[in-house]
Amino acid sequence: MIARKKRVSEAIGLDVGSTTAKMVRIEDGEVQSRITGTHNWKDLVNGIKENIISTGYFRNSVPHTASVTEITAAIYGVRHYFPEADVIVDIGGQDTKVVDIRKNNFLINDKCGAGTGAFLEFAANYFSIGLDELGLFHRRAGRIPDINNTCGVFAISEMISQLVAGYSKEEVVAGMHYAFARRISFMVPEAETIVLIGGAAKNEGMVMALKDILKKKILIPEEPQVINALGALKYFS
Amino acid sequence: MHVSKIGLTALVPPELIFACGGEPVDVNNIIPASKKYPRNKLCAWTAIWKEMLVERELSVDSLIVVAGGDCHNALVDGQKVAMSGIPTHFFFYPFDGDPEYLESQLYGLSGFLGGIKFPEKIKQINDLKKLGQKIDIKRSRGRITSGEAFNILISFSDLRGNLEEFQKNIASIKEHSIKTGNRIALIGVPPIFCDFHDVAQSLGLHIVFDELPYEFIRHRGANIREIACDYREYTFARPLDFRINFLQKELEKRKVDGIIHYTQFACHHMLEDEIIRSRLDYPVLTIQGDLPGNTPQQIKLRLEAFREMLERL
Repeated sequence: MIARKKRVSEAIGLDVGSTTAKMVRIEDGEVQSRITGTHNWKDLVNGIKENIISTGYFRNSVPHTASVTEITAAIYGVRHYFPEADVIVDIGGQDTKVVDIRKNNFLINDKCGAGTGAFLEFAANYFSIGLDELGLFHRRAGRIPDINNTCGVFAISEMISQLVAGYSKEEVVAGMHYAFARRISFMVPEAETIVLIGGAAKNEGMVMALKDILKKKILIPEEPQVINALGALKYFS
Repeated sequence: MHVSKIGLTALVPPELIFACGGEPVDVNNIIPASKKYPRNKLCAWTAIWKEMLVERELSVDSLIVVAGGDCHNALVDGQKVAMSGIPTHFFFYPFDGDPEYLESQLYGLSGFLGGIKFPEKIKQINDLKKLGQKIDIKRSRGRITSGEAFNILISFSDLRGNLEEFQKNIASIKEHSIKTGNRIALIGVPPIFCDFHDVAQSLGLHIVFDELPYEFIRHRGANIREIACDYREYTFARPLDFRINFLQKELEKRKVDGIIHYTQFACHHMLEDEIIRSRLDYPVLTIQGDLPGNTPQQIKLRLEAFREMLERL
């Protein structure tokens, strides 16, 4: 393995997280990326001749020339698009990380599933819809029921109670997004500009709820899921 | 001659236990390596010693529960131990540091233990504490690994029950030359993970200060009056301002680069985190543990990210 911060040329960034694997390379200044399931990460590096800079939970379990934690990678990846970012909220499959770039500080929530992508997946499965349909459901909601439980498992019980009370599936999904966003908001420090990354940033309903609660400018990169792979690459280049 | 084993739940002057002819056993010290999964718990530290004592898996003749200066979990779990039939004494430190109050507590404790019979033990322990201070300084200068230093310093709460053997343990520590690049102060209660210091070191974080074990080696006194006058400054029993002012001086003296604040699940010390972060002007990593064992992967990720962060500064 190479020493930290030594520059690496001809490299790709590889982020193998708990749920998905992401690969990034920069060609003619353009960010090119691919995403697959965690256990198919090999598909992303088959035939690759470049150095691999790894990050994510499995960063030390996959072949790599150098590795960096996803917290540091997130900073370098986000700065590529938003140099002015103050705070990063990275909602991953199994945890949520909040990185305060100005204060060089970070928080990780991984003791509880309530503020993680796993909870959104759990909720989508309950309604037998795809993760990508949660945002559409949210948009259709006329009312937003209160879902107060901070525990992911009991929040599902509360969602069922709201269905029994007469709320539609769409409304309960919107209530669930608010409960999710509220939990994340407790981790977010005062900031001007918040950048949201990770797979959950693609969920329009969750983003709407978070914007409503935080009342801050929230920026989302075009492909929020590959930012850490990009950051790993940038950290060593 | 039968020597009574005296269980301790937190810092109680061990010199007084030895002087009264007892053999102190800090009931916390076996927990990081324990495989016990307590049934009814908030904090795993108190829950495990409580269960082991109630079920007689840990043998003591009596127990001293530090109530004032420790936590209410200990106070409740200590009463459960008392109800199981183990003679138990409750020891209170004064929140305001009143030496006369502490002196009366120490006399009460001495009475519970049958009175001072071996006053010479007090000096013997004070001499060992001087050796402990030397170990602390050598670790800070990179001549002893933080893991080895921690194992000795944490044992000063009961001196492993045997002063002669403990002195040999201290003498057997080997010196090294360690690069102390990222100098870390570990504050809060000690981590419940048995390999934490070695893991931190392997990830480039050299722990040069352990808050609680340092309390174990810095207090002393030749008699009950002097012990009361010194132990009244035990920071964990005093208001937060007192503790933070003390920490500020120690951290400056040791030229630390960052702080790791360890918190225990369901422990009231977690509530202190925001004050520590706002009052101590260093990068702070807060971590939390629950059950004993090796340092979990999620904690290792935080340690590694903290090192990367310190190196970015």
